[in-house]
Amino acid sequence: MRNFVKIHVPASRLFKVFIFASVAALGVQVHAFDGLGRPATSAEIKAWDIDVRPDFKGLPAGKGSTVLGSKVWDAQCASCHGTFGESNEVFTPIVGGTTDADIKTGRVAALAENSMPQRTTLMKVSQLSTLWDYINRAMPWHAPKSLKTDEVYAVVAHILNLGGVVSDDFVLSNENIAEVQARLPNRNGVTLKHGMWLPSGKPDLQEKRCMSNCKPLPVTSVLPDYAMDAHGNIADQNRLVGPVRGMVTVKK
Amino acid sequence: MSLEISSDVALGRIQRAPENFIGRNDVAFVNRASELDRRSFFKRTFLAAAAGTLAMSTAARANAPVGDGDPAILSLPEHTTGLGLPVASNPYGQPSKFESNLQRRESPGLTRVGQASVSFCPLQGLFGIITPSGLHFERHHQGWWDIDPRQHRLMINGLVSKPMVFTLDDLMRMESVSRIHFIECGANSGMEWGNVAVPTVQYTHGMLSCSEFTGVPLIKVLEYCGVDLKKGRFVLAEGGDGSSMTRTIPMEMIESGEVLLAYGQNGEMLRPENGYPLRLVVPGVQGVSWVKYLRRIEVGDQPYASKDETIHYVDMMPDGLHRQYTSIQECKSVVTSPSGGQVLMNKGFYNITGLAWSGRGNIKAVDVSVDGGKNWKSARLEGPVQYKAFTRFNLPWVWDGKPAIIQSRALDSTSYVQPSYRTLRVVRGDKSIYHNNAIQSWSVKADGTVHNVHVG
Repeated sequence: MRNFVKIHVPASRLFKVFIFASVAALGVQVHAFDGLGRPATSAEIKAWDIDVRPDFKGLPAGKGSTVLGSKVWDAQCASCHGTFGESNEVFTPIVGGTTDADIKTGRVAALAENSMPQRTTLMKVSQLSTLWDYINRAMPWHAPKSLKTDEVYAVVAHILNLGGVVSDDFVLSNENIAEVQARLPNRNGVTLKHGMWLPSGKPDLQEKRCMSNCKPLPVTSVLPDYAMDAHGNIADQNRLVGPVRGMVTVKK
Repeated sequence: MSLEISSDVALGRIQRAPENFIGRNDVAFVNRASELDRRSFFKRTFLAAAAGTLAMSTAARANAPVGDGDPAILSLPEHTTGLGLPVASNPYGQPSKFESNLQRRESPGLTRVGQASVSFCPLQGLFGIITPSGLHFERHHQGWWDIDPRQHRLMINGLVSKPMVFTLDDLMRMESVSRIHFIECGANSGMEWGNVAVPTVQYTHGMLSCSEFTGVPLIKVLEYCGVDLKKGRFVLAEGGDGSSMTRTIPMEMIESGEVLLAYGQNGEMLRPENGYPLRLVVPGVQGVSWVKYLRRIEVGDQPYASKDETIHYVDMMPDGLHRQYTSIQECKSVVTSPSGGQVLMNKGFYNITGLAWSGRGNIKAVDVSVDGGKNWKSARLEGPVQYKAFTRFNLPWVWDGKPAIIQSRALDSTSYVQPSYRTLRVVRGDKSIYHNNAIQSWSVKADGTVHNVHVG
């Protein structure tokens, strides 16, 4: 039988010794990622770092008139969004549902009243930077990032003009964009006070877990038979074998 | 319109159809599938089987031997008496052609442009917790791309001491982790906020999938770049598609080590529709934050107010106020079978099965009711129950042929209980579109058909 010599070494120290030994054995440096990646050049960062924040950090200097905006709009935007930004044909409408009173209060009344069939972009947008940033990065649909900086200003100015937020002869620029922000119809209609943003957030409701003889709730909505074929023949959307089949909702 | 039961069930619903009986639709289906098949191998097999069974009397369609017995047993099929196909006939294997009913599908009329649309995962026919990659739901904001991974770059900039660029070679060389997580679109079940709108679980809940993702914890790469964690409390994730999709992620989530720069999905690389070659994985958070074709991470000291966190993906409360930056997918479950649009073939035993998940942790229990919520039984959870992942639940049920309403209600590790529509609407109203995690109800009628209903 062998003799075991018991040596008391703190676990943390043992761990360090172990790490040192493995690192030395492998001949690698301390950081696991050393040698991976390379510094980004300033030209590369400039090419990709295009985001514009709510405080307008990242907004390039420039200006654009509603007049130029309407020209760009008719050529690049109207086919999807409609001449007046009102179209619901391809995407949800951009313009509509806001009033002069909303511009004063910063809350779009139609949202609470539920008086519009669709919530338009101008009814929802609370930060002008969002409009500028998105048009700049993602529009027009078939050729994103092809607009010049001044054209982006112009298109934003045109949309705001269609919504009655700025006048017909307005020229939007990096100088006055913060003033226009203060006129956005729904600038005050938003909140971050809810539990679904940060992991530390708390849920806004708590259901009871009743297990037996619970109070029954009524059936409040059913799908009418005439709507059953709207998603095609459900028989063709279920497996040919198994415990169930799909209903025949479209007769062949 | 009266609803007809699937052709192979209609004549013999009370007496279960024999396995080899093929209805009219199924013959047509096999014919269609066979047209694409050079060998017409299966076509001959099935026409032979169909010819035999169609000649049988109605009485013979019970699950009992016919004459000397079942033709599927007595007449040896070609696959038993002939030579099969060689290895690597399909170098990348595909599901059986008889499984082609289970596809991701669009909801007609939901969107007008396929490049800014969604396709729904066929939850009604899936097993276990892993979504086959080819059936993973899709959501694109400006069309999808199949990007050359050799040309893809990830830039890290903002509040870091060393702004850096990484290739896939760099990222895939780093120590990786593999974790199973669900991904759910914030608008999942969104069509159902106000009233019942769609017939099946594919459309009520199909913006939902679960995969094993492989990648590198983002925090490790940020630390390598010298991140300023004191000031840098938010991160902007930016995609490399046309929309260059952006979302803000709180640093609190990233510091937990949960957020991954992922390139792997279910043992292979991400599928192009799911962000190949690199996407962000943000466990527990709605899909829009899992930015695909990820090209850039910027560290900043405030949220970025991107379009898809301040104009879209906002939850409207009854007073018209929009909740912005809503992200976490709260505890939810759904019975996937029996479910809407399906037909129970006869009275007797069924395994009620479904999925439960929570963006705040693990599933602790799932209760199932078959009487519209009066009484509930705890379902068996299929283990291991994993963090921010699907949990499959099962409950045995003997259907007595009478109308029933099947529901499931999940409870997570924070003791949050999935709400009824009534409880949810008291707080959120019925115009929210996003984050509908209400209890789903399936009404079983006496004829065996199952229908989507709201209870509450």
